[in-house]
Amino acid sequence: MNTEENIVLTEAVFYTLLVLHAPLHGYGIMQETKRLTDGRLVLSAGTLYGAISSLLDKGWIEALPAAEDSRRKEYVITPAGRLVARNELTRLHELVENGDKIIN
Amino acid sequence: MTKTIRKIFFLWEYEKEEAWINQMAKEGWMLVRTGFRKYVFEKGRPGEYAYRLELLEKDMHSPESKSYLDFLQETGIEVVGECINWVYLRCKTEDCKFDTTNRPLFKLTHLLKVQDFFNTIRLIFMVIIAICIVFIFILEHPEPAPVIDFFKGFCVGISLASSVMMLLAAPYFRRINKKVKAAIKELYTFG
Repeated sequence: MNTEENIVLTEAVFYTLLVLHAPLHGYGIMQETKRLTDGRLVLSAGTLYGAISSLLDKGWIEALPAAEDSRRKEYVITPAGRLVARNELTRLHELVENGDKIIN
Repeated sequence: MTKTIRKIFFLWEYEKEEAWINQMAKEGWMLVRTGFRKYVFEKGRPGEYAYRLELLEKDMHSPESKSYLDFLQETGIEVVGECINWVYLRCKTEDCKFDTTNRPLFKLTHLLKVQDFFNTIRLIFMVIIAICIVFIFILEHPEPAPVIDFFKGFCVGISLASSVMMLLAAPYFRRINKKVKAAIKELYTFG
């Protein structure tokens, strides 16, 4: 997957990157995504775990140093992640514009 | 109030087992502990919990699995039992964060793990059968010798039993391959 200019993100990954513009732990990511989408997108634990570990591998998000005796890790987006999210937004704009033109 | 039920499910009958546990929950019996062929239920509100059997990639006590299970715990999913790499998970029905199995990506991930697991089972059976057959031939001897004959009989028994198990499991193994193919096909349309 080196063609990172033309990548398409899954919905779970896109929302995870969005909500991680501010630091959150796993459960917070779920809550925040649910709130933003008015309850439409409920991330499930397995999907989110997979998304988080893949995003950590790619360096698009990072784990913040854990607080004492806390098993809850907090994550935040990295500059590389911001770039990916921005590119995805551009792609989505194109999608919406073309959709609007043809369907409406 | 608790009750213990002894019941056998083969490792490849995980769907049947999960359905049975969820049926028990619907009837008001919540699985709280498992042991070898043993299920311990506690009386609860019917349908209070939903249950899921999940296959972990690594042993439950490995750091990878631990971090995954900790993560699940954070979202309200508890582990109530284990068997080899399978874990018995539950969550409150009202606010359940289990993956819906109809999501193609999740489905495929799950199926591939199960396929891998099935392949390992099959390999173990085949190795057992091969070893037994080798013993049966090596131990060929002209005069009667009770100890050797007994051991040979033992080998025959084990290899026959393993063959029967493989036959029983064969339809499940075949079905999983079909399911994997179907899940991949679905991914072409739905990420």
